[in-house]
Amino acid sequence: MTSAAPIRVVLAKVGLDGHDRGIKVVARALRDAGLHVIYAGLWQTPEAVVRTVADEDADWLGLSLLSGAHMTLVPRVLQLLREAGLDNVGVLVGGIVPEADVTKLLDMGVARVFGPGTSLPDIVAFLRQRAEAGHA
Amino acid sequence: MPDDLLERFRHRDRLALARLLSRAARGEGVADLLARLGPPAKGGRVVAVTGSGGVGKSTLVGKLLETIRRHGPTVAVLACDPQSPLSGGALLGDRFRMPSRPDDDGVFIRSLAAAGGHGAVADHLDVMVRLLEKFGFDVLLIETVGAGQGDTAVHALADVVVLLLQPETGDDIQWEKAGLLEVADVIVIHKADLPGAAAVEAQVRQTLALSAGRQPAVLRVSSRTGEGLEPLWEVIRDLPPRRAADESGGRDLLRLAQEAVAERFARAEATRDPALRRILADWRGGVVDGDRAVAALLRLLAGG
Repeated sequence: MTSAAPIRVVLAKVGLDGHDRGIKVVARALRDAGLHVIYAGLWQTPEAVVRTVADEDADWLGLSLLSGAHMTLVPRVLQLLREAGLDNVGVLVGGIVPEADVTKLLDMGVARVFGPGTSLPDIVAFLRQRAEAGHA
Repeated sequence: MPDDLLERFRHRDRLALARLLSRAARGEGVADLLARLGPPAKGGRVVAVTGSGGVGKSTLVGKLLETIRRHGPTVAVLACDPQSPLSGGALLGDRFRMPSRPDDDGVFIRSLAAAGGHGAVADHLDVMVRLLEKFGFDVLLIETVGAGQGDTAVHALADVVVLLLQPETGDDIQWEKAGLLEVADVIVIHKADLPGAAAVEAQVRQTLALSAGRQPAVLRVSSRTGEGLEPLWEVIRDLPPRRAADESGGRDLLRLAQEAVAERFARAEATRDPALRRILADWRGGVVDGDRAVAALLRLLAGG
């Protein structure tokens, strides 16, 4: 039997960053919104995250960073995704990212940066809207 | 079914494998896919790991994966977690307990959402198993949803069923209930570093001693200390494969036909098909007997 394909999202924390409360709350909200969330967990390397995205055939990758290392780790993940032929995968960043860096990340190809104060329905609405627009 | 995807799959393109697994999970073109893939590769080994939630299935699968890789065979994991019957959403949280080995092409891990009603595993798991075997993975580890009692659907799919129990699992009457203990080929007393493991093992052995027939292996394993992992792999490796050879593909085709019939029946019911309603009324009213009603139904659905 054929059913509508649910959106598949990999959520991961890269690098040395143990703060996983936020990513777990987001995981739960996306689950309740009908998405399939693959939780990849803490302390992932960029290489491991990209392998997970590939093998899981994910539509989106959500990275949570509260360590300040976003300008090192996010570009690395983006580069590895391109090298793996996964340009079609949308990348979201959540956590603590200074305003000036948000613009840089968006220029590099990140689809959205969700900072403190983001409401969960906003994230869900963004993904739904992009799905309707033909991404994923 | 786009040919280039299958072509890329045949050239061992991992992304093509991942994409085909998604299609199989959605039930897209599975009849076509099974026919083109042909019978399962010989010598592969499908291992189902089952047991109640929290017993340590993901952790053990992760440890077993590393143990098997040390011996050489390649390993693919299909990890099933439940899907919400309300939202259709799922939080697939098995793989984060498994080792990430991005440099090792001999490891593939896929998380799957299992809708209820199909016995603790995702739909079309057989097609996904076939894909991974044909891609060349030697050992397939299937992690079921943490259900525990009654999820025996994996039995037909797997060569070896490994049932996980843990200390303080329940009293001895638990073991007498029909179901999992009967279909398990290997019983693992997991978390064997905790007190009470020996008592559970004794209870299980006692229960098994009373049953006639095939005796499953019973092992104590601790994923924390690594105790028992090597013996567990040896037992799994040496058991005779249970999946009978089905060279003709007869069973595949029967399953697909059953699915097609169920789908057409559901559609006829949903559209209140007059012919279907007549058959149902005749049967319930005793106008026709069961055999004739079934024959009429099959004729109707075959035409649809």
